[in-house]
Amino acid sequence: MAFVAVENISKTYNDQGSRIGVPVLRDVSTEIGEGEFVCLMGPSGSGKSTLLTILGAMNHPSQGRLVIDGIDVYALSDERRADFRAQYLGFVFQQHHLMPYLNAIENVMLPLAALPLAAIEKRRRALEVLEKVGLGDKASRLPSQLSGGEQGRLAIARALVNDPPLVLADEPTGTLDTKTGDEIMRIFVELNSRGQTIFMVTHNPANAALAHRVLHIRDGELEWTSDTKEARAELRFNPTL
Amino acid sequence: MRISTIAFANLRRRKGKAFFLVSGIGIGIGTAVALLSLSVSLREEIGSQMDQFGANIVVTPHSDSLALDYGGVSVAGVSFDQHQLSNDDAAGIRRIPYRKRLSVVAPKLLGTVDVDGRRTLVAGVDFASELRLKKWWRLAGRAPESASDVLLGYDVARAASAIEPFPGTSADADKSSAHHSAASEEFRITKERVTIGSREHRIAGVIGQTGGPEDRMVFAQLSQVQDLLGRPGQLSVIEVSALCKDCPVEDIVTQIRKELPHANVSAIQQSVRARAEAVDRLSRFSLVVSAVVLAIGALMVFTTMMSAVVERTKEIGVLRAIGFRRTHIIKGLMIEVVIISAAGGIVGWLAGLLASRLALPYFTEAGAQIELRVSLAVFAIAIAMLTGIVSSVYPVIRASRLDPSEAVRYV
Ligand SMILES: Nc1ncnc2c1ncn2[C@@H]1O[C@H](COP(=O)(O)OP(=O)(O)OP(=O)(O)O)[C@@H](O)[C@H]1O
Ligand SMILES: [Mg+2]
Repeated sequence: MAFVAVENISKTYNDQGSRIGVPVLRDVSTEIGEGEFVCLMGPSGSGKSTLLTILGAMNHPSQGRLVIDGIDVYALSDERRADFRAQYLGFVFQQHHLMPYLNAIENVMLPLAALPLAAIEKRRRALEVLEKVGLGDKASRLPSQLSGGEQGRLAIARALVNDPPLVLADEPTGTLDTKTGDEIMRIFVELNSRGQTIFMVTHNPANAALAHRVLHIRDGELEWTSDTKEARAELRFNPTL
Repeated sequence: MRISTIAFANLRRRKGKAFFLVSGIGIGIGTAVALLSLSVSLREEIGSQMDQFGANIVVTPHSDSLALDYGGVSVAGVSFDQHQLSNDDAAGIRRIPYRKRLSVVAPKLLGTVDVDGRRTLVAGVDFASELRLKKWWRLAGRAPESASDVLLGYDVARAASAIEPFPGTSADADKSSAHHSAASEEFRITKERVTIGSREHRIAGVIGQTGGPEDRMVFAQLSQVQDLLGRPGQLSVIEVSALCKDCPVEDIVTQIRKELPHANVSAIQQSVRARAEAVDRLSRFSLVVSAVVLAIGALMVFTTMMSAVVERTKEIGVLRAIGFRRTHIIKGLMIEVVIISAAGGIVGWLAGLLASRLALPYFTEAGAQIELRVSLAVFAIAIAMLTGIVSSVYPVIRASRLDPSEAVRYV
């Protein structure tokens, strides 16, 4: 069985006022294997973020099941699902959603806050991932004192600190210029090459080309899947990357 | 990094709002503390006034014949009854279980004797007790010292030509009995001695006009009067003053009745009671005002917390998304609320104490004081925390219910 199994998931948001909601996802099924890097592409409003938050164990689907590592995620209670997120998932949001009043290392430690770990261990782990994303020397900076690309890397560090089996990213390069976007993508590729499973929403075909597989979604339905082996092979010889 | 780290960071970040909340709760608690300590102090002042107003318990012998009248209380002692009060009865009163609450026990023997040839009511008293009981007496001259010293009532002294109007400042007016504040009387003592019965007595002092029965009386040492009247060891009345903050006068009366089954024991609580009632009303008013102010404070905490939750929707959603449980969110917010309301409680307690100290002189002339009471501090802080917690329960639970997927959406 695949590490992540999306089984016939549909989602309809029930807007206040209108009783019958618009279906956002229709009977979506797919699988993600361990160590796979999968991208999701599609027009605006096609349901990408919705699918990502459903994968993120924080948005109850209207129908269907999500099974990760053999766990039927939405059969868990709300509090158990929070524990599941803390244990299994790392999130990188487009807006980064860093806490402006906490410094870099504190932001990274955030997912560990509620865990029963010694303070020194939390700090050690946070420093380790900060090093990994090249921010080891900026641990005490506030997010506002970091560049856009550094903020993106900080967000990745936060997603990695709990050593999650699955990293979910929603347009992590959306607010960045091409150069810093590429910088972020390089980190994802490197993480993936060390076995990290990644699911990423992106608008950018160049970014999607770095994944193993690209899912295309339109009006809430998965249309087709493209293999990117050729693109990756090409990129591997691209000296600019 | 723990949940409390986030709470403290939030408090630091939102200093203005935290200050606003602390002062809001502080005003509520301060008002309550000020009003409460004022009414407690006034109540205590009334307690100490109780014994300044004289006796609140009077013990007389059982009697059917009402012979003489003393201060509105009938005294049977001068007629010949089989039940007499004695020195032993005065000692008996000092043995009751509540004896610590008795501030003065003043035994008296009353009788009529010729004073400088006029029939006059004479009271044999224990001067030390009597003067403590009759704090309103303004004494010219000295307090009696030797056994033969007597005090004359104003009318008696005038009739005996023992005093004459004093035009200027009183040169030899009393200086000995400082605690009776014998301010310059309009008379001075012109006579040294007076004849009571057959014996000569020294006039130690004259009681300034009171308008009461003592104006027409002579006060002498108890044993002297007992000798004079030929009634050794006998008493006509025992006046008792009980320390009365919240003291059970009725209980003391019951205990004296038990000790002296042959005597008539009655409690008198007059004017002080009216004041006590006024203070009771003040206390009730204080409670209502405190409750209202606290309710306003609670409402303020509620709205501020609600807006804080709205303001932090995204932040809370992100925390939920990265694995915080609902209970973790509740814990974090509650740490903030508890710190803020405890601070409000402390600030309010201090402010209330200060306010009541400043306000006390406007409510009382006497030396009433606001005491530092630990229980009040504990109470203030507890009420503050209760107010803070109760009024943030709903906002905090709402915060914990925020949908993380909603919060992390691209906005
Ligand atoms: N919480 C919600 N309540 C109601 N409707 C929603 C909600 N979230 C999303 N939608 C609707 O569902 C549809 C899909 O939204 P979603 O955010 O998944 O799109 P997306 O593919 O991520 O778009 P974009 O590329 O602009 O981010 C949109 O029409 C959106 O308005
Ligand atoms: Mg989106």
